[in-house]
Amino acid sequence: MTEHQGIFTSAAVQDYLSAEATVSSEQLSDRLWTVSDGKYRSVFVEAKSSVIAFDTFGTPARARAYAAEIGRRIPDKPVSTIIYTHDHLDHAGFAADLAPDATIVADEMTAKVISLRNADGQLAVTDVLSGQEHKVDFDGAEFTLLNRGPVHGTGHLSAYFDDENLFFSSDTILANARYGLMPDYHIANFVRIMRSFLDLDFERFVPGRYEVSDRKRFEEGCDYLEAMQIACQQAFISFTPIWVHDAMAAYVQNELGERFGHLDGFAEHSGQTAIRIVHHYLMGGWGLEDTPDPGILLAEQF
Amino acid sequence: MTKEEQQQDGHDESSGEHCGIFTIPGSHGIQGAWRDITYVPVRDNIWSVSEGIYRTIFVEGDNGVIAFDTFGTPGGARAFAGAIARIFPKKPVHTIVYSHEHLDHTGYAADLAPDADIVAHDLCHRVILGRKSDGQFAGTEIWSGERKQYNIDGVEFELIYPGPTHGDGNVAAYFPQSRLLFMVDTVIPGVGYTFFPDWHLSPYVPVMRRFLSLDWDTFVPGHFWITDRKGFQDNLEYYEQMAEIAQEAIGDGLDVDDFADVTRYTYEHLEPKYGRFFRFDEYCAMNLSRYISHYLTGGWGIEGNVSPDTSPL
Repeated sequence: MTEHQGIFTSAAVQDYLSAEATVSSEQLSDRLWTVSDGKYRSVFVEAKSSVIAFDTFGTPARARAYAAEIGRRIPDKPVSTIIYTHDHLDHAGFAADLAPDATIVADEMTAKVISLRNADGQLAVTDVLSGQEHKVDFDGAEFTLLNRGPVHGTGHLSAYFDDENLFFSSDTILANARYGLMPDYHIANFVRIMRSFLDLDFERFVPGRYEVSDRKRFEEGCDYLEAMQIACQQAFISFTPIWVHDAMAAYVQNELGERFGHLDGFAEHSGQTAIRIVHHYLMGGWGLEDTPDPGILLAEQF
Repeated sequence: MTKEEQQQDGHDESSGEHCGIFTIPGSHGIQGAWRDITYVPVRDNIWSVSEGIYRTIFVEGDNGVIAFDTFGTPGGARAFAGAIARIFPKKPVHTIVYSHEHLDHTGYAADLAPDADIVAHDLCHRVILGRKSDGQFAGTEIWSGERKQYNIDGVEFELIYPGPTHGDGNVAAYFPQSRLLFMVDTVIPGVGYTFFPDWHLSPYVPVMRRFLSLDWDTFVPGHFWITDRKGFQDNLEYYEQMAEIAQEAIGDGLDVDDFADVTRYTYEHLEPKYGRFFRFDEYCAMNLSRYISHYLTGGWGIEGNVSPDTSPL
């Protein structure tokens, strides 16, 4: 079969798009589940007569597996609403394969990017949210959606479930050091904004990748990236060749290894993460999102 | 921050140097380090300068000099000023033209020529105002749109904003009478720089191809050596190849989060054709990683998802 293509232009990806995936879920409360394909992670919520799904997973086959897992857990209720945490296809690219008739909820900037992108399989946003905080009630399921500023992607929304003392934030803080090149992270305000979520009363933290975490490890993630920012500046001013992966890896591993070397993926990923962050200081940040009072340049301005 | 605000605000007290967006205290030795600058006449009244990695141009006017960009540290900016003064000791730098907003190219007008007029595209200017970086002056002559002709101190040139390529408001300087095009952080000899930082990959190649409708035979990039029309086209083809291979890599099941495996794949699939490209070993795996992420995530932000004007300039 021909799958929805995202922005791919090559036929070489057909098998990737259609490869069967194993998606499994874990119940977090009476109404809340977390679901993972082994790397990516999301949550879904049982409402009165339907299900609220966050994101879609990153291929058509994975979206279908997500739908099947929801159906296995909650067999008599359709997915009525999909909430996009942000615009990226690897999380929110395939609503057409998850629940094509669902209402799609997202931040207004996510909606703008998705409209411009016109990716095959990524359904347009139908219910647009503007502002920083939204106490929502979808079919009786109440929780809070939060956008406190640019952290990753465009129009990023996190979710706070106060009944469960649980915070869900996709592609921001991880429970490990597997940040790679930190694609589309907005470094200037990232840690400050993420730390601000500690004003919420949560004990469990569900990230957008890897294992479920908790408040302590969320704080440790903020500490790690903050320490990485300092180490990268120190590497820069001490004439480390900041464009060389192995040199940056050696520098930050020496500086941070004692405190953060226990984090899974530290040895493999810290060099890439350092390359990304040190270029923030070299270049000054990327766009208005990366300024002290962040904003954004809109499409008509280009 | 405007020039007036910066001149009142002061800067890093411990080293006495402008410190960009560094937040750590103490002396930032690299900021003040002297850079050896080489300079070469390119064509007519246009000169090019480089400290080995970064490159820019300056142009002799009737009474002074127009400098493009500033280099990326206070020490580099002062060395740039010194190189200009060695060639034109009686002609001050009265104008700086910004290519784009990144500090490593335009961060230190305060150290190059603090009294100069600064020409910047509006998209670049807005980010500089928001950033408030120490040493980076905001523009004094702001322009918008796609093309603008200038005649400054007898120097005629055109600034062209072709659409999103890299950074914000990244413009080319076109000298039609000299058949020379200058543009920073786009076409660079060799493979792409690290992980294509702040490149807008979806519109990049079609936007850059617009320049092929203009009459020029010399291209001065923002890094390394001067090239020509063929070098420009070959470089864009590398990006197109990278886009194809990134998709093939995804199809082959390559995990972008396994950098060791991305590196292995790079050598297996790209070394035969590109192994002799400048900086292949340093950057090609990072180039591939970035392109894979592009396809998996869908392009980054508004700039990375606009449908650009691809008509000839």
